[in-house]
Amino acid sequence: MQIRTLKDALSFGDLPAVERIGFILFITFCFIFPWIIKGGFAQAVMIQFLIFCLYGLGWNLIGGYGGQVALGQAKNVGMSAYTVALLMVRWNIPFWVCTPLGVIVATIESFVLGYFLFRLRGHYFAIATIAVSLVWQQLFINWNFIGGARGIELPLRETPNFIYMQFDSPVYYHYFAFVLVMIAILYMNWFRKSRLGYQLRAITANEDVAESLGINAHWVKVKAYCITGIFAGMGGAFYTVYYSYIDPFSVMHLELSIMIALMTMIGGAGSMWGPIIGAMILIPLDRYLGAWLGGRGILGVDFMIYALMVMIISAYEPRGIWGIIEKARRKR
Amino acid sequence: MEMLLSTLVSALLMGMLFALVALGLAIIFGVMNIVNFAHGEFLMVGMYTAFLTATIFSIEPLLTLPIAAMVGFLLGIASYYMLVRYLLKGPMIAQLLGTFGLMIFLRYLAMCIFGPDYKTLEHGLLIGKSIMWGPVVLSYPRLGTAVLSMLGFGIIYWMMDYTRLGKALKATALDVEAAGYMGIDTEKMRGLAWGLGGATVGIAGALLINFYYVFPTIGILFCMIAFATVALGGFGSIKGAFIAGLIMGMIIDLGGTYLGPQYKFALIYLTFFLVVVIRPKGLFGW
Repeated sequence: MQIRTLKDALSFGDLPAVERIGFILFITFCFIFPWIIKGGFAQAVMIQFLIFCLYGLGWNLIGGYGGQVALGQAKNVGMSAYTVALLMVRWNIPFWVCTPLGVIVATIESFVLGYFLFRLRGHYFAIATIAVSLVWQQLFINWNFIGGARGIELPLRETPNFIYMQFDSPVYYHYFAFVLVMIAILYMNWFRKSRLGYQLRAITANEDVAESLGINAHWVKVKAYCITGIFAGMGGAFYTVYYSYIDPFSVMHLELSIMIALMTMIGGAGSMWGPIIGAMILIPLDRYLGAWLGGRGILGVDFMIYALMVMIISAYEPRGIWGIIEKARRKR
Repeated sequence: MEMLLSTLVSALLMGMLFALVALGLAIIFGVMNIVNFAHGEFLMVGMYTAFLTATIFSIEPLLTLPIAAMVGFLLGIASYYMLVRYLLKGPMIAQLLGTFGLMIFLRYLAMCIFGPDYKTLEHGLLIGKSIMWGPVVLSYPRLGTAVLSMLGFGIIYWMMDYTRLGKALKATALDVEAAGYMGIDTEKMRGLAWGLGGATVGIAGALLINFYYVFPTIGILFCMIAFATVALGGFGSIKGAFIAGLIMGMIIDLGGTYLGPQYKFALIYLTFFLVVVIRPKGLFGW
């Protein structure tokens, strides 16, 4: 059973050759990136890209395969980030102990919320997730124990430290993030062939029919939502040690949730590579364009460009850029 | 006691404005079963329109109402014909994220044009004046806003029930196909619903600017208030929107006074959450 699972996760045999080559190119690129490009800004953008890949791959589970517009990914990220930061600052607990705890907190939160929220469908669900994440953000801003609006800063240690994940070069963070993304990709590869994956897609296609076939739609959705929480939690824990500073505006903000959802939607929700394509387009665009325009005092143009992209995509090709690629391939 | 009375009255007056904001959302949802995430941004557009016309031409802010209504109407129509029409063909997730994209677009367009600053109007017939009525302080802007909101609400309500146009809208809401067989141009009705929704919320924005500041990200706040109101009243119900608006006004103002203003908005979200979990139909939903 275990060996079968591992085999499913590691085998990409059922994908077309083009996709396998693309995947290998992606891995190679991520692997050699810190050696060929030395610029600090470019490396920071690359790490951002990897973090967003992780968030997007997690969100794709519920938003893409599950078809549920959950706009609250940021609160899972924030839960885990805050748990990790608090434990590390107040009790000096090593990162490797905090991270599982942070992920557990994020998962429990997703479970409890998912259990109640998945009684709702469609619009109601989407709005309720926004409402919940806004409540959390307000609470975190006003809660002084965890730093309120000022946020939490991790103490700097004198020497690079593996136990507290503090390094003097971004290369280490790059590889750590890369490993997390690889785990997420392998998990998704297993997931799309798994029982849960088929059940979730059946629910997306038609919930009533899926239920009549004996699928417990509510339970399946809650499970998928928890898994989404796990990925967001891992991303949040990484975010904390990478930036060594968090506040409610960076990890709890609705804008983060929006960004994750838009990114996945543009890349192609419900496809294996969609979130990665989305992140590949949006993150460099965001950082370089944002830096360039921000330097000239022009605000908001970057977000306007995504908004236009997402409007065009959802009006003409709801399956995103990946959908366009697949259509072109089928025509040939 | 006097404070409670004052708060109650001001809450009721504010509630009437919330009802007007929610009305547009209720019409759009009722006619075509789509949630307009950009609703709060329509309000923002109305507020900026009123603000700009009033300051540039230095006219009385209340006179900007028709202009804001016009702009809101055109914005609604344009969103329908350029975006929503195509979204309706797609799956649920595309419909939701499509209007969501519109929201982000309008919000950052305003950010780009006006910058992130808070802006208020300083001169006007109502602005900054109040009257004592027994122990109760009545602020003119809120009073005027409430009266005009009621008027707007009444007009829409009358139109929906007693004119051919309103009846056609209602028929489209109840059953698109059957309405089509009866010779109603349903496509036009849907566009009109968006136009009406935009116009009402544009008016609400022009009223709100009399006592509230405007900034580009104001939309999400009022959008959530409108969602909570519409959910409480029942999606698509006009009567429900009115009563729920009054209730929301009470919750926000009483909560802000007695729990502390920082929890005011958390209360709105909590109300919404409880309503959709406990009674998803709302008070008057169908």
